[in-house]
Amino acid sequence: MNDNVFEIDNVCRMFGQVTAVDGLTLSLGRGEVTGFLGTNGAGKTTTIKMLIGLIRPTSGTVRLFGRDPVESSVRARIGYMPEMAYYYPFLNVRELLAFYGGVCGMDGKLVKSRTDELIEVVELVDAAKRPLKEYSKGMLQRAGIAQALLNDPDLLILDEPFTGLDPLARIHFRELIKKLREKGKSIFFSSHELGETELLCDNVAIMKKGRCIYHGPVGRLAGDGGGNLERLFLEVLEKGGVR
Amino acid sequence: MKVFLRRIGALVRLSLLELWRRNDMFVLLVLALVLLVPLSMARPFGAAGATRYFDEAALLLVWGYSLFISLGVGGRLFTSEFSSRTVYPLLAKPVSRGELLLGKYLGAVVAAWSALAFFYALWAVSSALRGGECLSACLMQAFVFHALFSALAVAAALCGSFLLTPSASTTLLAILFPAMFFFGRRLPEYAENVSGALRWLVKAFYWAAPHAEFFDMRQRLVHGWGGVDASVFLAVAGYGIAYSAVLLLLAGFLFNRKRL
Repeated sequence: MNDNVFEIDNVCRMFGQVTAVDGLTLSLGRGEVTGFLGTNGAGKTTTIKMLIGLIRPTSGTVRLFGRDPVESSVRARIGYMPEMAYYYPFLNVRELLAFYGGVCGMDGKLVKSRTDELIEVVELVDAAKRPLKEYSKGMLQRAGIAQALLNDPDLLILDEPFTGLDPLARIHFRELIKKLREKGKSIFFSSHELGETELLCDNVAIMKKGRCIYHGPVGRLAGDGGGNLERLFLEVLEKGGVR
Repeated sequence: MKVFLRRIGALVRLSLLELWRRNDMFVLLVLALVLLVPLSMARPFGAAGATRYFDEAALLLVWGYSLFISLGVGGRLFTSEFSSRTVYPLLAKPVSRGELLLGKYLGAVVAAWSALAFFYALWAVSSALRGGECLSACLMQAFVFHALFSALAVAAALCGSFLLTPSASTTLLAILFPAMFFFGRRLPEYAENVSGALRWLVKAFYWAAPHAEFFDMRQRLVHGWGGVDASVFLAVAGYGIAYSAVLLLLAGFLFNRKRL
C-alpha cells in the first residue's frame, strides 16, 4: 500500500510561454513534515495551488491521498492556509470558522466545539467578537491557522505560515506543529524562514526556477561538515543541486 | 444530501451577511422609504386618476431599486471573491465550483428578495392606509413575478461578471433590462417595419433577450384589473426559471474554465 499523502509526478505548469513548474517530482509520507523552500518566483505557490486542486498541471500528475485533488471530496482531508490572509473582513473569527465548518459539511455542534477549542489554541479569545478587518497581520495569520485546522485534517498545507507572527506567536506555532506531528499529521509548508524550517522539518525540498534541486532530509543537505540551513540553502541554490 | 445542504446553507448565509453588512444597502433602503412613502401616500387634489399615476410611479421606483440591487449583488458575487482572493482558501475546502456558484447565487437572490419584500410591504401598507386592498391575489402575483425577475437579473449579472469587467457587465445590463422593460413588446412590430438583415437581427434579439416586460404587473395592480390566468402565470414563471437556469449553467461553465 502506498503510504504517501501526496505524489507529484513529473509535473509541468505553464502560464502562456512562462514555465512556472518544470518536471517536478515530489512526495510526502504520512506523519512527515517537509519544508518547501525557494526564492520568490521559484514555483512554490503554483505547486501548492496544484496540490489543492485550484489549478491543473499542464502535464504530469498530482495525486492527493491517491486521488485527483480537483475532486472536492478529497479536500476534506486537507487544511490549507494561504500566504496572505484572504478572509472575509466583515466576519469575526467565530463566524469565519462557522462558515468554513459549514462549507466542510461539518455538523453545527462539532463546528462550535472545534471553534471554541481553536480560538483558544490560536489565542484569539479576546478578539473573537471583533471583525477581521480590525485584526493585525499576525492575528489574521492565527485566524488562518485556526481555519486550516478546523476539520482536523490529515494533511496541512501552509503557505508562508510564519509571516507576520511575533516571536511569541512563532514559538506557540512551532509547538503546535510539533504536537500535530506527534499526532501523526503530515505537514507541508513553504517558507523563507530557514531557521524555523530547520527546527521543524524532517525533510526539505528546494525549488529553483520551477525545478526541485533538492529533496531529502535536512541532515543529508548538511553532510558531514554540518552547518546551518541558511548557508547550505545558498550553496544549493548557487550550485543548482546537491552532489 | 445533508452535507450538500450544509454547504449551500453556509454559502447562502455568507452572501446574506456580506450584503446586509454593507452600508450601501441600508442607504438604498432608507432612500426607498423616503421616496416611496410620500409618493404612494400622495392624494393630489383628491383625484383618483392622479393618485394612480403616483402609485404607478412608486411601483416604477420599486422596479428601479430592485434592478439596481439585483445587478449590484449579482455582479459583485464573484468579482469580490477574486479581487480579495478569498476564493483560494474557500476552494481548498471540500466544495466544488458548482456548489460554490449555486450557494452564492442563492444567497444573493435571498438578499435581493428580502429587499423586494420590504419594498412591496411598504407599498401594500400605504395602499391599505388609502383604503385599498392590502394583500390581494394580484399583489401576490406581482411580487412573485418581480421576485423571479430579480433572480433572473442576479443570474445575468453573475454570468456577465465572468464574461466582462464588472462595471461593463453591470452597465450593459442596466441598459438592456430597462430597454426590454419599456420597449420589448414593440420589437416584433419594429421588425415588421424594417427589411433585410436588420429584420432578422431584431427578431433574433427579440427571441434571445430577457423579456423583463413579461414580469411587469404594475398596470394590473394600479388599475385594479386583477391577476393573470394560471396558465399565463405558469408560463411566465417557467420562462423566468428556465432563463435563470441557462444563465447559471453558462456562469458555471465560465467559472470552471477560469484560471485562478
